[in-house]
Amino acid sequence: MTDMSRREFIKVSSLATGGLMVSVYLAGCITKETDPTTTTTSTTSTSTSTTTTSSSTTATTSEPEPTTTTTYPGDPNAQLRPNIYLLIDGTGAVTITAFRSELGQGIRTAIAMVIAEEMDAEWERVSVTQAPADSDYGDQNTGGSLSIKNHYQILRRAGAAAREVLIAAAARTWDVRVKDCRTEPGTVVHPDGESRLTYGELITAGVEEEAPRVNRAKPWKDPSRFRIVGQPTTLVDAADHLSGTTRYTNDLTLPGMRYAVIARCPTFGGRPLDYDRAAALAIPGVTDVLEIEKGVAVVADHTWAALQGREALNVSWSRGSLAGTTSAGIQQHLIDSTRSVGSSRIGAAYDIPYLAHAALEPMGAVADVRSDGCEVWAPTQDPQGARRTVQNLTGFARSAVTVHVPPVGGKFGRGHYDDAVTEAVHLSQALGAPVKLMWTREDDMAHDRYHPMSRYQATAPASGSSRPSVRSNSAGSPIPTGAWRSVGNHPTAFARESLIDEVAAANGIDPLKLRMQIMDRAARRVIELAAEQSGWGSPLPDGWGRGIAYFSTFGVTPVAQVAEVSVEGSAIRVHRVVCAVDCGVVINPDTVRAQMEGGIAFGLTAALKDGITIEDGAVVQSNFHDYRLLPFDEMPEVEVHIVPSSEPPTGVGEMGVPPIAPAVANAVFAATGIRLRSIPLRL
Amino acid sequence: MARVRLTVNGTDYRVDVPDDIPLLWVLRDFLGLTGTKYGCGIGLCGACTVHVDDRAVRSCSVTAADVTGEITTIEGLHGNHPVQEAWLTENVPQCGYCQPGQVMTAAALLAGNPRPSDTEVDDAMSGVLCRCGTYQRIRKAIERAAGVT
Repeated sequence: MTDMSRREFIKVSSLATGGLMVSVYLAGCITKETDPTTTTTSTTSTSTSTTTTSSSTTATTSEPEPTTTTTYPGDPNAQLRPNIYLLIDGTGAVTITAFRSELGQGIRTAIAMVIAEEMDAEWERVSVTQAPADSDYGDQNTGGSLSIKNHYQILRRAGAAAREVLIAAAARTWDVRVKDCRTEPGTVVHPDGESRLTYGELITAGVEEEAPRVNRAKPWKDPSRFRIVGQPTTLVDAADHLSGTTRYTNDLTLPGMRYAVIARCPTFGGRPLDYDRAAALAIPGVTDVLEIEKGVAVVADHTWAALQGREALNVSWSRGSLAGTTSAGIQQHLIDSTRSVGSSRIGAAYDIPYLAHAALEPMGAVADVRSDGCEVWAPTQDPQGARRTVQNLTGFARSAVTVHVPPVGGKFGRGHYDDAVTEAVHLSQALGAPVKLMWTREDDMAHDRYHPMSRYQATAPASGSSRPSVRSNSAGSPIPTGAWRSVGNHPTAFARESLIDEVAAANGIDPLKLRMQIMDRAARRVIELAAEQSGWGSPLPDGWGRGIAYFSTFGVTPVAQVAEVSVEGSAIRVHRVVCAVDCGVVINPDTVRAQMEGGIAFGLTAALKDGITIEDGAVVQSNFHDYRLLPFDEMPEVEVHIVPSSEPPTGVGEMGVPPIAPAVANAVFAATGIRLRSIPLRL
Repeated sequence: MARVRLTVNGTDYRVDVPDDIPLLWVLRDFLGLTGTKYGCGIGLCGACTVHVDDRAVRSCSVTAADVTGEITTIEGLHGNHPVQEAWLTENVPQCGYCQPGQVMTAAALLAGNPRPSDTEVDDAMSGVLCRCGTYQRIRKAIERAAGVT
């Protein structure tokens, strides 16, 4: 219920006085700018057009365009914005503002589902727009699988606040008590159970009431009565992705925009010594060659000219501070500096190589630095961090810097680092024009922030009477490292879950049985479910093996996986993975499944394909021929089983990754008796 | 520079482009058809797949001047192609970036082979990479579009 005493009323005519209504509005409501240049997508399955950037070059952004048709009397442009998270127009259409980066993890859909549930919206009338970097939304740094875990309650309250103010408006109109009214989707219902006012009608008539502050609003719905949350729901962006209308950063165009690529030193820390500026400028379409901190930028009328110009530069580089560095040498250092295991314990060391993010969308950014401000579009996971970077680079006040977040083509942690933003801003400053900076695949592969090469040592009592402890050794990587989907959970799981099987084998115990003895209850629930669904213990063909692993990434989401693997010669093939996950209340079960499937594919690429290696201070791998991704025909059949739960929701974006490598290694051991302790797994 | 004549999604274009420019960059930078994606530039990932006369072609690896035949891009399927509808039903996309290439590859497969075997599906689709791991759903969507399920 709203707090009547806090309201400030605005005089408007009411429905009872007849026909024509004045439009809204609410004193004290927060008006929030959302981003017309990034995707607004409706929840209906038809593809909706997205606004292009070509019409928007101003630093200030406007509110989303209201739908112009209305069947109701009054102002067709009436809008209600009860808080920064949503807007309802006079037709009842709801626009929800997503404020975490969409990387494919389905967060735009999940945010909308939770808000729509608590505001009792009609899901078919909901569309989603994307917030730019804005600290009013709190933490926008999209990582740690935290978007739902940390924002579930605020999203519920945001929706509840909208419902409260609409009920209050209806109660006033009818002169009945607020608490006697209820809602049905998109509609307030009179205490007589007959009369109804849709949200759109109320807004068109004029809402005098002030919406409660979000943190004062009360979620009203018992999760058992949820009708949107918990339903398998198509992602709001899916239709646009499939029709090719989604505009990722590299798809954007601004008037007068220049296209840029950068020749980058193959070795870390090297500098350009010499290059053929004239040859680059001789390429038709190339207009500028600029030396910047990271290398030599070529600017052109279109991408191909920039790429050809970069070729023509023929740069010679200084070798840089890491000349002579090799990944083999770094690994030897890790081996030499890992302490030995005490005699009362059983232990082993497990090795992880450098790993690349290799999102299908390479890094890049669009920047438009003008005399009075700057706009940036970037596939960033950390919009506010990017904004701070731009402020530092340009000296502009925060209000003069806008960072838009178009849909992100993967990223898996790479988007926390704003090197491409920095480069694009530099170039736009230098050229006095908007710049689209593209990283090629080769740039992306050789200039990543890699998952650190590391050696993890797991030890356990020789009897296997308790869980192994794991110690990591990845200190002092000379090459840049960073957050890679599931970060240290991945190698920790590989070490611990492999060692549990080693202990089980040493003691002649079934590895499932050992886990049921030493793991806590939350773990046992998913371990048991995955084992049961996999047919643990049932016969497999010769040369096949079954392996199980369990991990609770960040300690919040228990996941168990059973892998069925065949080994033929040196070829390891994963045929089937049964996955059980307990993530609390499920927002979108289809997303939970998708994230488990995707996490497994991501983990299998690491487990079975290629590490990043370093020779003479440079990354050896350059493209998908030598840093291979799991292909279509090697994707196992994945079954996902979700533990029913009424606990607060946790996260799923990274949690499917860590168990799969040890599950496969354990299956290889079951099939062959060979214990593999290095990723990638090689027989 | 060369004047290239292209028919894309039923529209005739004449564009002045560099002699050696791959079709990908003509589509994206000259015609504004950005649904066709850059992923690797050397024909390894399939994100740039388009149709030339119903055949799946990597637009990063063919010079625009060399294209003879009618080009169809993802925009030319208009969002209501049976493959797109099957993809939507199976809720295939995650980040979505590779999906235009996935859809175009599958559409070409099914146009030439309406009921492909598993092996034929593997052969057609295994060169189109998805880092999000949507492959299992892609397989189901192809089966759906082929009327198998």
